[in-house]
Amino acid sequence: MSDAKKVITLICERACDLSGIVDDSGSCTEVPGMKVVKFPCSGMIQPLMIENAIKAGADGVVVTGCQIGDCYYREGNRMIRERLLGDRPPTLKKGTDRRRILALWLAKPQRQRFISESKEFIATLNNLATPEAK
Amino acid sequence: MQKIVDNHPLKAFNGLTLAIENAINAFMTSKYNPFYYHGALPQYYLWVLYLSGLLLFAYYIPTIDNAYNSKLLTNAWTSVDYITKSLPFGGVIRGIHRYAGDAMVITILLHALRVWFTDRYRQYRWLQWVSGIVLAIFVLFIGQTGFYLVWDDRSLLLTRMTASAFESLPVVGPGLKTWFLNGDQITNLTLSNFLFIHIGLSFFLLFGLWIHYLRMTRPVLTPPPAVNYILTALVLVCVFIWPLSSGNMADLNKQPVSFDIDWFFLWPYAMLSQMPVMGYWAVMILGTVAITAAPWLMIPKQPAIETAEVVLNKCTGCSLCYKDCPYQAIEMVPAPAGSRFKLLATVKDFRCSGCGVCVGACAFDAIDLPDLPDAEVNAKIKALLEAKG
Repeated sequence: MSDAKKVITLICERACDLSGIVDDSGSCTEVPGMKVVKFPCSGMIQPLMIENAIKAGADGVVVTGCQIGDCYYREGNRMIRERLLGDRPPTLKKGTDRRRILALWLAKPQRQRFISESKEFIATLNNLATPEAK
Repeated sequence: MQKIVDNHPLKAFNGLTLAIENAINAFMTSKYNPFYYHGALPQYYLWVLYLSGLLLFAYYIPTIDNAYNSKLLTNAWTSVDYITKSLPFGGVIRGIHRYAGDAMVITILLHALRVWFTDRYRQYRWLQWVSGIVLAIFVLFIGQTGFYLVWDDRSLLLTRMTASAFESLPVVGPGLKTWFLNGDQITNLTLSNFLFIHIGLSFFLLFGLWIHYLRMTRPVLTPPPAVNYILTALVLVCVFIWPLSSGNMADLNKQPVSFDIDWFFLWPYAMLSQMPVMGYWAVMILGTVAITAAPWLMIPKQPAIETAEVVLNKCTGCSLCYKDCPYQAIEMVPAPAGSRFKLLATVKDFRCSGCGVCVGACAFDAIDLPDLPDAEVNAKIKALLEAKG
């Protein structure tokens, strides 16, 4: 078991700007263990993708969209937020460990906030028991 | 796979808009940030205008009769004077009607600038942009007729300027002038016509707004109450700081030579007084055409949209994507004969923005963006997790 927690970030490409800190392979240089997958809009993220990531061995998943209220495509970030909260189908499966999911709503200039929140999230993940080996 | 986001010429303005909104979020929270309701702000002021206008309409008398130039006569000017000075709170209602109109112009401008700066007016949004331009022109004209209705010196001058500007147009000119004055010259019927235009076109705005909202699912029509209170308070502050008064009663036998410009509604008249009339029309018409055509003129072009595609043999007709699509781009049609399901989702390509919200809504992998299928996303997530142990 490696030390660094493996975290997948599913992020809207219009939300907080990570262009300088993500290399070609999708690793975030500022947050060790973090991999980034970009979407045209956070509304495209399926709860199934989050479950798959955890099943495939991710210790945590960070979902990042623009500030609630501001979506280039009008409602995308609200949609995924409601899905994560269980208010709009399709939702997460019951058994999903919700402590391993973090949702951040950050505008383009808020990169520092993204880094500090993710580090804090990884710190809480360290305190959680390791998920059962699949 | 990753599309370019910031390829529009107003990149710096986009950054500026987001930075300003971010700053406002810091103390107002995103729930109450007025910029997130920029389209609903003028809509709110429209309701204020309807209500205050209804109250003014109860006491307004649309005639110009001033044969003896006596204040005892009942005409438009004296009725406005009565509303302002004698009617309890009449001056406040009149002030609200005026300043809510000014506020509507400001908020419309903010709305237009924001969608322009953030590049949210082109491609699948062209109908909103074009209908918005038409609505803005109507708002301007309705506001100007409001200035004629007061029937003071300025109203008379504006009416004469408008009539002669219309008259100078080829072919349609004389007809327009007759329509505008409701006859060949200024009579009592002229003010009836102004009142009809002022109120009639205001209701036409509702029809225009229907088109403006047509392609949007769940349009945001109302700001939260807290924002409404602030909007109302701003208008009331203006009413009490700058109470309104009319000029002198219009006298048809005199020609007023100068007037105070109201920069929200009367700026076209400032232009008209500074340039030849045909030049004025050329600037106005070409300017309008250019702004209306902005979605197609802006360079560099946006990349073509990869519209969503339904995977026919997977779609169960559950309607989730249809409900969540922000642009009403998905239509549920009867499934073809032999299908196990009743309905089938179909994508209207001309409305689709390629945002992928439908992909997020689908629990059956039955809808995909061709340039980023969800199978590919899941494979990528898996690959990233397996890399480097």
